Amino acid sequence: MQAATQDPSPQYSSKDLASAEHAQSFWKIVWEQFITHKAALIGLFIITLFILIALLAPVIAMVTGQNPEVQNPMNRYAKPMTEATLSADQRENAVTRFQELNPEPSAQIRKEIAEKQLFTFVREEDALYDLANAEPDVQKEVFAKLESPGHLELKQTFDQFSRFHLFGTDELGRDVFIRLVYGTRVSIGVGILVALASAVIGLLIGAMAGYYGGWVDTLLMRVTDALLSLPTLPVLIVVSAVSVDKVPGLRSIITQSNENIMKLVFILVLFSWMTVARLVRAEVLSLKEREFVLAAKTLGARDRTILFKHLFPNVIAPLLVSVSLGIGESIQFEAALSFLGLGIQQPTASWGNMLFNAQDLITEAPFLAILPGILILIITICFNYLGDGLQDAINPKSIRR
Amino acid sequence: MTNFIIRRLIQTVIVIALLSYFCFYLMTLMPGDPVDLMIQSNPRITSEDVARLRNLYGLDQPTYVRYWNWMSGILQGDLGYSRTYRIPVSDIMGPKLVNTFVLSFASLALALIIAIPLGVWSALRAGTKTDYVIGFFAFSGVSMPSFWLGLILIIAFAVWIPWFPAGGTETIGVDHGSWWSIVTDRAYYLVLPTVTLAYISIGRFLRFTRSAMLEAMRNDYIRTARAKGLSRVVVIWQHGFRNALLSLITMVTLSFSGVFSGATITETVFAYQGVGKLVYDSIIANDFNVAMISFMISVSMVLIFNLIADIMYSFADPRISLS
Repeated sequence: MQAATQDPSPQYSSKDLASAEHAQSFWKIVWEQFITHKAALIGLFIITLFILIALLAPVIAMVTGQNPEVQNPMNRYAKPMTEATLSADQRENAVTRFQELNPEPSAQIRKEIAEKQLFTFVREEDALYDLANAEPDVQKEVFAKLESPGHLELKQTFDQFSRFHLFGTDELGRDVFIRLVYGTRVSIGVGILVALASAVIGLLIGAMAGYYGGWVDTLLMRVTDALLSLPTLPVLIVVSAVSVDKVPGLRSIITQSNENIMKLVFILVLFSWMTVARLVRAEVLSLKEREFVLAAKTLGARDRTILFKHLFPNVIAPLLVSVSLGIGESIQFEAALSFLGLGIQQPTASWGNMLFNAQDLITEAPFLAILPGILILIITICFNYLGDGLQDAINPKSIRR
Repeated sequence: MTNFIIRRLIQTVIVIALLSYFCFYLMTLMPGDPVDLMIQSNPRITSEDVARLRNLYGLDQPTYVRYWNWMSGILQGDLGYSRTYRIPVSDIMGPKLVNTFVLSFASLALALIIAIPLGVWSALRAGTKTDYVIGFFAFSGVSMPSFWLGLILIIAFAVWIPWFPAGGTETIGVDHGSWWSIVTDRAYYLVLPTVTLAYISIGRFLRFTRSAMLEAMRNDYIRTARAKGLSRVVVIWQHGFRNALLSLITMVTLSFSGVFSGATITETVFAYQGVGKLVYDSIIANDFNVAMISFMISVSMVLIFNLIADIMYSFADPRISLS
C-alpha cells in the first residue's frame, strides 16, 4: 500500500493489472479466505475421504471379500488384526451345505477335478471335502484351473474358511471393518439428508416470517421458539418410540422398506429446522430494507420473484455455515438414538447401533466400543471446523484474532 | 418489570399445557396399549373381557376425553400408578429429580472451573500454539458424543483400572453409619458421569469465555491501566475479566437448561437413577404413566430454567429492554 501511494506507476505486469481491475467473484474471495484456515481445510479433506468411502462401500466389500451381514457364530469377538480359520468340522459342514444347495454344479466340479487330476484325492465323491482340508496353496491352484459353472460360488464358500479381520469381529462374528464402512454410508447419509432437508424447511419458514412480517411472523416464530426451548434428547426419545402405523398419513411417506432410515430422518428434521429458520429470518429482515429489493418492487416484481431471485442467493452463504454445523449435529443425534436402540435397527450397520451392542461387551471386547466412537468424533470435529472456517471466510469480521 | 415476568410466566404455562396434550397424544401413538400388555400373558381372555377392561380404564373414549380425565387427576395430585415399579408415580419422582439436580450442578461447576481459566489463558495467548491446542480441546469437547465418552471412561476407569464403579447411584444394601459415609459413597458414583457431562459443556464455555475476554481486553481502559503501570495480574483479572464476567453470567444461566436435558444420555450410560434415565426406561418398558410424568417434568424443568435465565438476564444487564 505504502509503496503504491508513493510511486504511482509501479512495475505491474499486464496480467496483474487485469486481475486487479477485474472484480473477484464472491465465492472466489470466500475460497481464498477459507484456505487460510488450515484446520477447516484438513476437515474438508477428511470429510471428502469419508464421503468417498461411503460411496465406494460396495467396491470395498468386493475387493476385501467381506460382507457386512454375513454372520459367523464360531468366530465371535475376534481381536483386531487376526486371521480367523474354521475348524475341519466347520469346513466339512459348509461343503455339505454347498453340495445340498447346488447338487448339479458340485457334481460337475467334482467330475472336472477327477478328469484333470487337479490334486490328489481319495474318492471322487468326497473330492470337495478333501479340497476343503487341503493346503491353502493347493486350493488356490485348483481354483485357478477350474472352469465348470458354479466354481465362483464354491470359491465364495471356501473364502469363508479363512479370513482376515482388520478390526476384529462383533458378537455375531461379523467383520467390524466392513460394517464400519457401510456404517459410514448410513451415518453420513442421514446427517447430510437431515441437514439439507432442515435447511430447505428453515429457509422457507424463515423467509416467509421475515418477508411478510405481521401475524405470519408472530405465529411462525412462536412455534419456532417453542420447539427450540424443548430439551432435544428426551423429546427425540419419546417421538422415536411412536409407531409409524398409528400416525395418519405417515405411511404414504415412510414405506415398510425404507422405514428404518426414513423414520429417523423424518424425526430429526422435525426438530432441527428451527436454528436455520431463525438465521434466515434475521437475514431477510435486514435484506428486505435494502435498495435492490426496493428496486425490484418498484419494477413490479412479484413476492415470489423477490424471495427466490433476490433474497435467497444472499442468504446462501450463512446457510452454508449452518448446514455444515447441522450435519455434525445430526450425525451425533443419529448416533445417540441408535445407541439407545431407538434409531437405525439391525442388521443395517450405523456407527451408533454398533455401539449399542458394544455397550454390553466392554469386558469381553472393548475394541468394539472404541472404533465407531472415534469415527463419530472425527467426522463431527471435521464438520465443526468446516463450519468455523466457512464462517470466517464469509464474514471476515468474525475472524477469531 | 413485573409485567414482563408475568407475561413470560403465562407464556411458559401455555407452552407446558400444549406440550402435555401433545405428549399425551404421542403416547397413544406408541405400539401397544395398557390393555394389550395386560392380556398378553393371559391366553384365555375373551373379547368381552377385553371390551370390559377397555371400558374400565376409559380406553374406548376419544383422546381429548382421556386427556381431560388424566389431567384432572394430576391437578388433584394423583399422578397415576407405575406398571413396572408397582408403586404410585409420585413416589418415584422425588429421589430421581434430586439425583439429576446433583449430577447437573456438579458437572456445571466442574465445567466452569476448568473452562474459565483455560478460556482466559487462550484469550491472552491468542494466535499462539497454546491457543490452538486449547481451541482443539474445546472443539473436541463440542464434537464428543457423550455416550461414547461415557463408555470409554467406563472401560478405562472401571474395567481396566477399577477405581470407580461402572454404573449406579449408590452402593445398594450397605448400612451407612453416618451421613458422611452416604455422601462419600454417592460422590464415588458421581465421578465418571460428572466428568462425562462436564467435558461436553467445557468446549462451549471455553470458546465463549475466550471471545468475551478478547472483547474485554480490546478496550481502551485496558491500555490505560497498563500505561498506569498496574501489574499484569491486576490488569487481567480486575480490569479485563470483570468486564467479561457479565456476558459469562448470562451464558451460564442460559446453559442451566442445556445441562439438565443433556444429562439424559449420560444417566442412561452410567445407569444413574435420574429423570432422564427414567424417561428412557419407561418408554422402553411401555410404562405410560411414568413416561408421561417424567417427560413432562424434564421438559418443564428446561422451560422453567429458561424463564429464570431470561429474568436474571434482564436484571443483570439493564440495557435489555423489557417492553
